[in-house]
Amino acid sequence: MYIRPDIVGNEFAEVSLTIDEEANSRRLRLEDLKTGKVRYLDALELETLVWLPEGNLAKLLDPSADRWREEDA
Amino acid sequence: MTLTDIPTSSSGARGPAAPYDELIEAQRVHGSLYTSPAIFADELEQIWYRTWVYVGHVSEIAEPNDYVRKNIGPQDVIMTRSADGEVHLLLNRCAHRGNLVCEADAGNSSSFRCPYHGWTYRNTGDMLGYPFHGGYGGRGKLDLGLGRVPRVGIYQGFVFGSFAPDGPTLEEHLGEAKGEIDRLVRLSPEGEVEITAGFLKHKARANWKLLAENETDGYHPQFVHASIFSVAQSGIGALYGEKSTAVTRALGNGHSENDLRPEFRRIGAPLGWFGTTEEKVPEYSAAMRARYGDAAEEILIEGAPHVMIFPNLFIAEIQMFTIQPLAANLTVQHVTAVQFKGAPEMNKRMLQQCIGSVGPAGMLLADDTEMYERNQAGVAELRPEWLDVRRGVHREEIDERGLTVGGATDETGMRGFWKHYKHLMTEGRAQ
Repeated sequence: MYIRPDIVGNEFAEVSLTIDEEANSRRLRLEDLKTGKVRYLDALELETLVWLPEGNLAKLLDPSADRWREEDA
Repeated sequence: MTLTDIPTSSSGARGPAAPYDELIEAQRVHGSLYTSPAIFADELEQIWYRTWVYVGHVSEIAEPNDYVRKNIGPQDVIMTRSADGEVHLLLNRCAHRGNLVCEADAGNSSSFRCPYHGWTYRNTGDMLGYPFHGGYGGRGKLDLGLGRVPRVGIYQGFVFGSFAPDGPTLEEHLGEAKGEIDRLVRLSPEGEVEITAGFLKHKARANWKLLAENETDGYHPQFVHASIFSVAQSGIGALYGEKSTAVTRALGNGHSENDLRPEFRRIGAPLGWFGTTEEKVPEYSAAMRARYGDAAEEILIEGAPHVMIFPNLFIAEIQMFTIQPLAANLTVQHVTAVQFKGAPEMNKRMLQQCIGSVGPAGMLLADDTEMYERNQAGVAELRPEWLDVRRGVHREEIDERGLTVGGATDETGMRGFWKHYKHLMTEGRAQ
């Protein structure tokens, strides 16, 4: 049975969230609906995100932190 | 890591624990080989922590970041697949205080956090970090990771590990047994085996060698398994009779097989080896014939192997056993049904047959285990000291591959096992 993924979206980004059962334990499947890029997050990674300080999260939100970098262009 | 890093015998002795040349003769072996704790400790060093040992199958960690807990003898091994797809064999021991890092039998995680003090490792074994890093002078100050099994080898998806940093390659170790794994895998219409049915663990209060020897002992089935053969109205018992054209073959390096193909060829019925017909599994048969064409007939007639791969992997046609030695008188058998990729019809039947024969109320393994435990009690008796392994020695032949072949009920496989064992424990010892 197909279960429609939950979507978190706004004017800036749109990401689908599903709980994936294919691996040896459950994980969160995230898909950037603008590009189709997919990332899985396991429980320990999710817990880590919960505890990520705002400042560290802000660093990751810098458009050139891991994406749109001159050296990758 | 070196061998000396691995805790083995309590004595720490590196010399032979016993005069193996005297205890292992061509036609008989001494009872102390099954009962001596010192010999068991020596076996851990010279066999289990040195040669190639089967650990798990790649299909058990199909997704990136999947992991399963496995073992090499008493060693607790985490088999992981890192995000890049690489398979790793890590020791389940925190580099800090030696606690177990993983508790669950299986999971999916890119990293492992020890529950004791929070030291955290990538699933490659590399250290990620530790809490309150000031106590160590800051981040990244410790170059400590999880222990690794030094060599990992994969053949047809079967993952083996060796604690010896060098030595024979996995393919050299498998030698003639490779062909038997190939025979199993080609019974999948997609050419892949999947070990996804889950494991049952059977504890046997017996020495691991009694199990390894029994796996290709064609002499016992008509006695020990008479009840299941009669209940199931099975023709398998006759395959292990004196009139059978099946053979027992020593494959070298301690591996052995009961080669039942001569009987299956004589009968000439596709899937007869599995006790069924093509009509009962039409989708599987069609898929096999589509993949293999004319060769499918022979593949379906000859069936799956019955092979014991030294020291711990036993493929019994549709079932797979791994032997885990824990003490001179304690062994755990991990049992699962083989599954063929792309063959749901067959897989369901194989699972049912597996449960019937080696499940909790199964009628095959319980009989064998009863024999193992009686045997362990018996070999501890003081007289006559020896176990006889001469059956069929006078009628053995060398086949076209240069391998020793005996009759269906002969102890050719056992003699091959002991020849390799003796080599590993004497002139082939680690220096």
